[in-house]
Amino acid sequence: MANYEVKTEVSGSVWKIVTEVGQKIEPGETLMIIESMKMEIPVICEQGGAVQKFLVEETMPVNEGQTVAVLSK
Amino acid sequence: MSTNTYEARKAKALAMGGPEKLARRRQTGILNARERIDRLFDQGSFIESGLFGASLADPDKSAGDGKIAGFGRIDGRDAAAVANDFTVMGASSAATNGRKIGHVKRVATSRGMPIVFLGESSGARMPDHMGSRGMGALLGNDPTQYVRMREVPWASATLGLSYGSSSWYSVLSDFNVIRKGAVLAVSSAQLASLAIKENVDPEEMGGWQVHAEVTGFADAVAETDEEAIDLIRTFLSYLPSHYREAPPVCAVPAGSGGGMADIAKLLPEKRTQVYDVRRIIRAIVDTDSFFELKARFGKVISTGLARLGGRTVGVLANNPLFRGGAMDTDACEKAASFLVLCDSFNIPVVLLVDTPGFLIGIDAERRRAPGKIMTFMQALQLCTVPKLSVILRKTYGQAYLNMGGGRNSDEVAAWPSAEVSFMDPTYAVKIVHGLAPGDPHFDEAFAQMNKDSEPWDIAAMFAVQSIIQPHETRDYLIRMLDVHRQRLSNGVGQHLMGAWPTSF
Repeated sequence: MANYEVKTEVSGSVWKIVTEVGQKIEPGETLMIIESMKMEIPVICEQGGAVQKFLVEETMPVNEGQTVAVLSK
Repeated sequence: MSTNTYEARKAKALAMGGPEKLARRRQTGILNARERIDRLFDQGSFIESGLFGASLADPDKSAGDGKIAGFGRIDGRDAAAVANDFTVMGASSAATNGRKIGHVKRVATSRGMPIVFLGESSGARMPDHMGSRGMGALLGNDPTQYVRMREVPWASATLGLSYGSSSWYSVLSDFNVIRKGAVLAVSSAQLASLAIKENVDPEEMGGWQVHAEVTGFADAVAETDEEAIDLIRTFLSYLPSHYREAPPVCAVPAGSGGGMADIAKLLPEKRTQVYDVRRIIRAIVDTDSFFELKARFGKVISTGLARLGGRTVGVLANNPLFRGGAMDTDACEKAASFLVLCDSFNIPVVLLVDTPGFLIGIDAERRRAPGKIMTFMQALQLCTVPKLSVILRKTYGQAYLNMGGGRNSDEVAAWPSAEVSFMDPTYAVKIVHGLAPGDPHFDEAFAQMNKDSEPWDIAAMFAVQSIIQPHETRDYLIRMLDVHRQRLSNGVGQHLMGAWPTSF
């Protein structure tokens, strides 16, 4: 089991976290949704795995490339 | 010369770098240069040019001088190829193999057939190129060596360590596939480590992820040599053999258009929700015909070749799944290079539009966003093949022009869901009325802005030529592509970007 970081591709604010710590998610599944440019932009986890922790909270601003969660696989 | 001598010399040339080296490659599952040629061309169609080529400095160890050149057929159509044979002196560039490459390029260009480069080479041969005598005798001596006028398609595969000329030909090509584990770079990691005094990992420097995601030099990624070469064959199936003919026409696969009845369901009802435009593309084009290019680079735009009614088209679509479809500088470069490809080889372009505009801000400006946006725009305006735009949802400001609005396409159609304005209504209410969400009268002003963004007014002014239902899109495009077929030139455009740089 190795940990890896998931980053947001856009700057904006965290609108909704749609997964929970401990949850196992499939490759391609949405981890959270960032509001940016008046759009709801998903942070998609390409590799899948188990959510270890979130580094952001809802409504928090985020910058492009910022790590938003750590998963293990 | 006796027959025995001939047979012996031929066998030696065909033996490449010898049984040990070939066996080691086979153990790792990597094809050798002749196996790659066999995979590329239709069975039995390869005719070699330069089998007895060698280095006169060391003829016994330089079978073919490390590069195999010749001609064959791909799905019945002629093509030329150069396959680097890494088992012979690392396929390094030298006098004889330079002549072989030059010959194949001249023949392919003057006779009108694609060229395929199967890359894996160590760079310039040492010590041949060393010193002023080596440089004077070998390097260059061909003022057209790296000229691309795009008379014929070039396709390349990066299939191993590729430095020097292998890299040059890959980035000069219209299509480049990189196999996982291969490296494309200016020079070896070993030399780079010496130059910058730190250890350089080859894959970190020029592996598939770098070129698929960061540089955009890789149009596709393959797991194996076989898959990479098959992708070259597929790419070429969409293209004409040369710039003076239209692309080939194929039979329409059964089931094409079968998903059109439900296509509207692929577009979220809520205007702030994103979706993957590639699902819409696949529903519109002929079954299984969408061949995406640079899928991991500049992802906010999706580009690819496809067929509509059996005819090749280039699809350039905003993809809201990534960054809401806001176009960044990578996407602008990707769009421009794709338009150059389509225009050079007489491929009509279909633009599917849903973008909130260009990604702006400090970082974007530092990445030269104004220049990149105009490069994209120049490519679109110089494009002389038919261009059809379909506005699916948002189109704002300058991005409206870059995606074909304002007479930058031959026809613009809009779905009833289209929103056309200078900017997103939410921002517009703020700027025009000074109101933010929650303020008194915001909702009325926002509703009016939204209504004004509906496509009916622009259609009434004929700045949008048609409003179509989503399920009509495939039939509309096929019929309109037929209307705009370039009858006066047999489907051939003007190629105003033939000499456009291959990287910019």
